[in-house]
Amino acid sequence: MRSYTAVTLRQLSSRRGRLFLTISGIVLGTGMIVGVLLLTTTIQRTFTDLYDSIYGKADLVLAATSDAGALPEDALARVRTTQGVDSAVGQVTAVLSLVGADGPGAELNAAGTTVEGQSYSDLEIVSGRKVRGGRETELEASWAEANGLQVGDTASLATPSGIRDYRVAGLFKFSTGVDFGGEGFGFLPLGEARRAFGQPAGWSEIQAVVSEEGTGAVDQVKRRLDAEFGPGVEVITPQGKSDQIQSQLQALNVILYFFAGMALFVGGFLIFNSFNMTVLQRMREIGMQRTLGASRGMVVRSVLTESSTLGIAGSLLGILGGIGIALALIALLRSIGLPVGALQWTAAAPVAGILMGLITATAGSLIPALRAGRIAPIRAVLGSEGLRSRPKPIRAVIGICLVVPGLYGAFTLGAADQTTTAVVAAGIGGIIAIFFGIALLAPFVVSPLSRLLSWPVRKLAPIEGRLASDSARANPTRTAATATALLIGLALVVGINSLGSSFLNSIEREFDRAFARDLTVQPRGLNPGAGPQQSLAPSVLGEISDLPGVAVATPERLVATAQLPQVAGRKGNGPQGLLFGFDPSVYDKVDSSQIDTGELTRAEAYARVGKGALTVGKGYAEEAGIEIGDEMLLEGASGAEPAPVVAIVDTILAGGQTVSMSLEKMARVYGITSDTQIAVKADSVDARAEVKREIERLLEADYPNLTVLSNDEIKSEVESQISQQFGFFNALVAVAILASLFGIVNTLSMSVLERTREIGVLRALGATRWQIRRTVANESLIISLIGAVLGISIGVGLGWALLQGLAAGVPGVVYSPPIGTMFAVAVAAVLLGLIAAIVPARRAAKLDVVDALSYE
Amino acid sequence: MSSGSKRSGKRSGDADPVPAIDARKLTKRYGSGTSLVKALDRLDFRVEKGEMVAIMGPSGSGKSTLLHLLGALETPTSGTIALAGENFEGLDDRGLTLLRREKIGFVFQFFNLLPSLNALENVMLPALIAGRRDPKVEKRGRSLLKRVGLGRREHHLPSELSGGEQQRVSIARALLLEPELVLADEPTGNLDSRSEATVLDLLSELNSDEGHTIVLVTHDTTAAAVAGRVSFLRDGKSAGEVAGGDSAKLIRAFAKLESPASKTKKRRPSAKSPRGKR
Repeated sequence: MRSYTAVTLRQLSSRRGRLFLTISGIVLGTGMIVGVLLLTTTIQRTFTDLYDSIYGKADLVLAATSDAGALPEDALARVRTTQGVDSAVGQVTAVLSLVGADGPGAELNAAGTTVEGQSYSDLEIVSGRKVRGGRETELEASWAEANGLQVGDTASLATPSGIRDYRVAGLFKFSTGVDFGGEGFGFLPLGEARRAFGQPAGWSEIQAVVSEEGTGAVDQVKRRLDAEFGPGVEVITPQGKSDQIQSQLQALNVILYFFAGMALFVGGFLIFNSFNMTVLQRMREIGMQRTLGASRGMVVRSVLTESSTLGIAGSLLGILGGIGIALALIALLRSIGLPVGALQWTAAAPVAGILMGLITATAGSLIPALRAGRIAPIRAVLGSEGLRSRPKPIRAVIGICLVVPGLYGAFTLGAADQTTTAVVAAGIGGIIAIFFGIALLAPFVVSPLSRLLSWPVRKLAPIEGRLASDSARANPTRTAATATALLIGLALVVGINSLGSSFLNSIEREFDRAFARDLTVQPRGLNPGAGPQQSLAPSVLGEISDLPGVAVATPERLVATAQLPQVAGRKGNGPQGLLFGFDPSVYDKVDSSQIDTGELTRAEAYARVGKGALTVGKGYAEEAGIEIGDEMLLEGASGAEPAPVVAIVDTILAGGQTVSMSLEKMARVYGITSDTQIAVKADSVDARAEVKREIERLLEADYPNLTVLSNDEIKSEVESQISQQFGFFNALVAVAILASLFGIVNTLSMSVLERTREIGVLRALGATRWQIRRTVANESLIISLIGAVLGISIGVGLGWALLQGLAAGVPGVVYSPPIGTMFAVAVAAVLLGLIAAIVPARRAAKLDVVDALSYE
Repeated sequence: MSSGSKRSGKRSGDADPVPAIDARKLTKRYGSGTSLVKALDRLDFRVEKGEMVAIMGPSGSGKSTLLHLLGALETPTSGTIALAGENFEGLDDRGLTLLRREKIGFVFQFFNLLPSLNALENVMLPALIAGRRDPKVEKRGRSLLKRVGLGRREHHLPSELSGGEQQRVSIARALLLEPELVLADEPTGNLDSRSEATVLDLLSELNSDEGHTIVLVTHDTTAAAVAGRVSFLRDGKSAGEVAGGDSAKLIRAFAKLESPASKTKKRRPSAKSPRGKR
């Protein structure tokens, strides 16, 4: 050995088992960082490639600001005659679904265009030919393959005008080779598409090529087109389109990085706890080094060298794990309907991984290192005798000083309309402050809590319970740190699911209040706000109205928009939200939402809506200060009109960011003519079931892509959508919880080591191996239950703070505790405790009695 | 082997046909090949009920190993042990554990009280381990603490007791479940001379007045002198025995035993050396 550092490294290699437990948090934390980084890179690449392919030749793309909105028929000519435009093509689009032998299947994003129009996309035919006319289609090759379609086959597609059969004329590949995670793309001839989509005139999208090269020229033309079409039409470059998606995904990225950060935070915590234990255990040895002349600085550096080595080693493993995590996340996102391509590698991932691992390990070991530096030479003789540290009261004060503003930070995050960096930083900072505060406070509650939690065990098995509880209390700081690592994950689960359960309950309450309808007919898997949606064939409404027992059948049109209308005269763009079109003459029969109509009666207000007035969601109204009587300016792809506000609707759909109008107005201004769903009311309560059966029969025969849902079924549909989303979040938090599991194992191993003699005595006095095992398992349970009790409490507080913030922006959302999750967390904690104890308990039980008795 | 002596218990006179301990041809080997250590070599050892026997010998003589074997903490490589007529042979770990629990009381050099339990709780520990919680046992615990002179220290933690007091608690603990045999491993090895005297008097009284069978391992002649009989070991074999009582005679006998003995320390190599040892 040539240096003092070498001594440190030699020590590392002498404790390999503990080593793994120490770095497991770093491995998982950096794994999450790397995984998330790879995922976001992949998502970004997917969309860039997609738009590069679809808009291969186009310089500018024009589309309605709202989903499903249409540009008027003459728009194409106006674009073509705009100065600087070389050429332009238009297309109509719709989401179709493939109808197989066993009902409707994969969705297909279909575009109707001319042969010239297709040439704007960057794709190559791999077999067959391009579509020319008639009932034929051209499909993206990998999607076609996945659905068992080849050139010459017939594809049955559910379209807005019913099921239509198409001959597969050709298969194409995007030239960037983009794999879009199973999302389908296809072309139809323009004329056929107009018939099938029920859009005889107008355009969903117009692509233009600018005559001059260079971004300056493109910008100039864009400005001219903006002036020509106004705010109802968005003029954007393909790059801009891709950037737009990126910024929409920003919120998801923030969430992903937040969870990755939390896993890393837990990792740092485990390093802290582990090094604290090691320093205490090596007190005699470090004291010895000090008597031999090692300076404080040398001791501190030695510990830091050890931790940074571990940090790098851990992050190297983490990079490997990160690839696995990225693959798992991609699979998860695909399963909740977000299209993601094949994994993309980036050099930034390993760099960030190693850097984060190094920083976390060093930061985590800083306090133990400084503590090691303060070890006096006399410890060479005394060892750690008389050092049973009790937490100092100042810790409690600092702890409280962190938790309170932390909760405020979480509130801020919840209250934010837009997830700006500052808000996210406040929120994440707040949540981390809460956890730090709890870590400081926890040692004070460990003693009473472990007494309380071990009570049942003490009753059942007095000696095991008693010893386990004493063991947990003997070193409250260590027990607290271990439990805190666990509680972070558990609190996050409870906090996040508080949001889920509150939203779900609030939505269900609103449904109970607002649904006067009996049934709703909608496309399967309808999810407004998650990109373009399938729409209903116009014939459906008439056919349902004609069924016996149907009193009312009325269409509803829900369309996500990037810009809600603004009060006339106000500057700037409106926020994202939902446009809603309905028939005010009958809507009262299917809907009983709470509406503030000012001085008008409900009927009068609806009559005004029939004449062109609007209603506004409470969330948007409160946020933008919109009042009854205000004049708003609607600017759609097809026109611009002013309209007065006659009512404020108490809804939490789309966060209350809604503007509602009559069907006619929606068609006139936004060019939206297709129905999203149909609300149905039966003649009588008794007729409900029969009406539902009738509609089912109709849909099965002619519209298999549609479904009819009772109000309860809609509720459970919403529930499953929400729980799917929160399931994804829970999966992310699971990584942090897994890391804390290793933390418990580490602490238990240390505890067993420290109590070796005691175990020997117990065995000599006649304790069986099982009794020893139970003692260790009980200690583990006490730790994990402390984590669960604190985690659930903190999680409830956190969820409440987040929700109060959210409710400030979305009036009507009421906090409701996630009872199911709380139970699940408690059960999970017990299981984790038992799992963590397996190896340490076995080791303790296997100790040789004579060896254990002579252990110092 | 002679039975009975002037200071042995009251039942020694009528020599109970079943001895408290009857060990035959005990052999204990550790390791193998070149590192083979023979800790005990075909040793016969017998203790009558009510007897108090001291085992003496230099370091590495095998006296600790003998105590561990008698206490069912380890199993012999060969040979048999019977405790009050019950043979250890064929008992698995659980059987040996139950045997220790019910029939053997231990007194250790370092007392080995659990630091988080108070004096009474430490005395009660064997009952807690055995799952016996009847008030009778608790009453016995209290009276034992009184018996060892610590009736008023019931609620003191070990850290609040002196070494001698801790050892008296541990003696009370050893007696709680009325074992057939009390094994004491250097019970005074960690005490000052005043505490040592108290503890030795206590052990001696427990033997002579209450008839407890006690085997103690020691290398201290003062301690050995309280026994009715002192058995010497060297290199894992018996090296004769003398009657206890006379400390001076013991010193001479022990000196004779130690002088030609091998100086090498034969320590028991652990089966698995515990890691992380300081």
